[in-house]
Amino acid sequence: MTSQWRTLTLYAILTVASIVWIVPVVGAGAIAVLPLDQSTKGWWTADPATVTFANFGRVWDGGLSGYAVNSLIIAVLSVLITLAVGTVAAYAFARMRFRFKGFVHVMLLTTMIVPVQIILIPLIPWFRTLGLNNGSWQYLGIALVHTAFGAGWSIFMLSSFFEGIPNELLESAKIDGAGSFKAFSAIALPLALPGIVSFVIIDFVFVWNDLLMGLTLLDADHRPITVGLANLNAPQLNQDDLISAGSILAILPPLLLFALLNRYYVKGLFAGAVKG
Amino acid sequence: MMTSRARTAPPTNAGQNTSTVPVPSGRAKRRGRGSETRLAYIFLAPLLAIFAGFYLWPAVATFLSSFFTWGMLNPWRADQPDTWVPAGIDNYTTTLTSADFWNAALNSVVWLIVFPFLVVVISLALSLLIWEAKKGTGFFRSAIILPMTISLAAVGVIWGFIYNPDPNKGLLNAALKLIGVGNADLNIGPLELHLGRWLSNPGVLHLGGLDVRLTNIMIIIPAVWAFVGFGVITFTAGLTSVPAELVEASKVDGASRWQTIRHVTLPSLRPSIVVVVVISIIFALRTFDIVFVTTGGGPAQDTEVLGLLLWQQAFQFLDSPKAGQAAAIAIIMSFVLIAAAMPFLRKNGNPS
Repeated sequence: MTSQWRTLTLYAILTVASIVWIVPVVGAGAIAVLPLDQSTKGWWTADPATVTFANFGRVWDGGLSGYAVNSLIIAVLSVLITLAVGTVAAYAFARMRFRFKGFVHVMLLTTMIVPVQIILIPLIPWFRTLGLNNGSWQYLGIALVHTAFGAGWSIFMLSSFFEGIPNELLESAKIDGAGSFKAFSAIALPLALPGIVSFVIIDFVFVWNDLLMGLTLLDADHRPITVGLANLNAPQLNQDDLISAGSILAILPPLLLFALLNRYYVKGLFAGAVKG
Repeated sequence: MMTSRARTAPPTNAGQNTSTVPVPSGRAKRRGRGSETRLAYIFLAPLLAIFAGFYLWPAVATFLSSFFTWGMLNPWRADQPDTWVPAGIDNYTTTLTSADFWNAALNSVVWLIVFPFLVVVISLALSLLIWEAKKGTGFFRSAIILPMTISLAAVGVIWGFIYNPDPNKGLLNAALKLIGVGNADLNIGPLELHLGRWLSNPGVLHLGGLDVRLTNIMIIIPAVWAFVGFGVITFTAGLTSVPAELVEASKVDGASRWQTIRHVTLPSLRPSIVVVVVISIIFALRTFDIVFVTTGGGPAQDTEVLGLLLWQQAFQFLDSPKAGQAAAIAIIMSFVLIAAAMPFLRKNGNPS
């Protein structure tokens, strides 16, 4: 095989693969912007003149807006709590000495391995005991569960960013009279900021995409958009227009974050992957 | 894999002693370290408190409650002995002798084998191809990474359109119609295929006395589609650390491109492959979302997996108190996973 043919084959395979990877999303997007009588004849043959955004408005007003707001509250709250308690703990793991460090680290990392189902079953009675099963308290409850179950990932990723900071910088700050806390807040934190941004994006997407915890732990008024989407997805109702519009709205925030902050997103996963 | 960590780590602390800065006396140094340790505990306390309250205790409670009979309508509570209905090890024996459990376990095993295999093979092939390409690598990589950000609930919904059995709505059946196949039934050796009925009855693989329903595969494929991006990112990270000199040397020695990949690139990628395999295994056993959204475990119980079965027992069938059995399944699943992942944990569990 000549090198010309080889190059051609290479790009042909990659192009086909890219199309296969994009088509499912494009298909859902096409059904979402078509009236039902067009998309049920095949979205690939539809008349472009019939394109409409009405489906999005209908599904949004039909109840998805409430789910989207819940998802936003849960994701923002979870990320904030994880960030507040996770960055300092990750710094301790990366840069400080303390007793039982290895043991505690392994305990935290088990959250990356065991299935989330291991904590799910007794959580409902436990929430009742703590008073986290009523009204808006449920948001706090699920955010704390996300923080606890995400502890392994957050320590794993965040400590890798702190480990990347040259020791000399922190030592010289201490020699200059800054305390350990000052070395953390004034030197380490700003330097780790790009990594922390990556982590925030990945954590937000992770919480936004959760179905199982939201479905199980929250009452009908507080459930996230993934549950709203699952409820829409009833094939016998012949509402492909609403289902597809809902699915596009549900995947839009993560996709936008990915498109706008692609560099940070990939870098964060990259760091985890390289470290792993 | 480990190279970047080594690269970023400071060479030594030796410079500190040779500097002109006065070395703190032994006592001051000790006090300094003490206050730093105290700060470490302050830094750790909030996370560990949340971790203990919302992970450790629930996990322990799952274990304890697996020895009682209870359901969500009259839940077992550690602080209320009047809710305790002891079951001994009945929840485990009932589970391990139930046909539902073994059906779900078989489907989970299909996930555990097929999902990591497809993820590794496809993402490794795509990573190597993208690595070879000179132009458009950013586009190809982005296209393949993009579905990674989509929730599995949405992945199930989106692929529902692709799998739609109506050839006017579903892309796959439209393609089948176009090539004039329609809903064809095929028998290839032990493989029985029903083209066009993707999620209802796509076929069976007859392995001796064991029938593996292919509906599982039809749900695994969208999950692989979403997960391959993770593999591509990991392998691309791994490829950057393959020593260029080795690749050059093998070229100079007259090795073909395939021989270079086989004997130089793949061995260097072994740690990345381990990471992708382990994480896909963990992911495969957790599976809940995509099955819940696409088939709900059906038709019949063909796509029921352990993660879904225990959820249904605990939260769906409220009239029968089966949460104890669900807890038993969760414990069994966790033991299987910890046993499988222990070597990985040992290797990475000790921060320097």
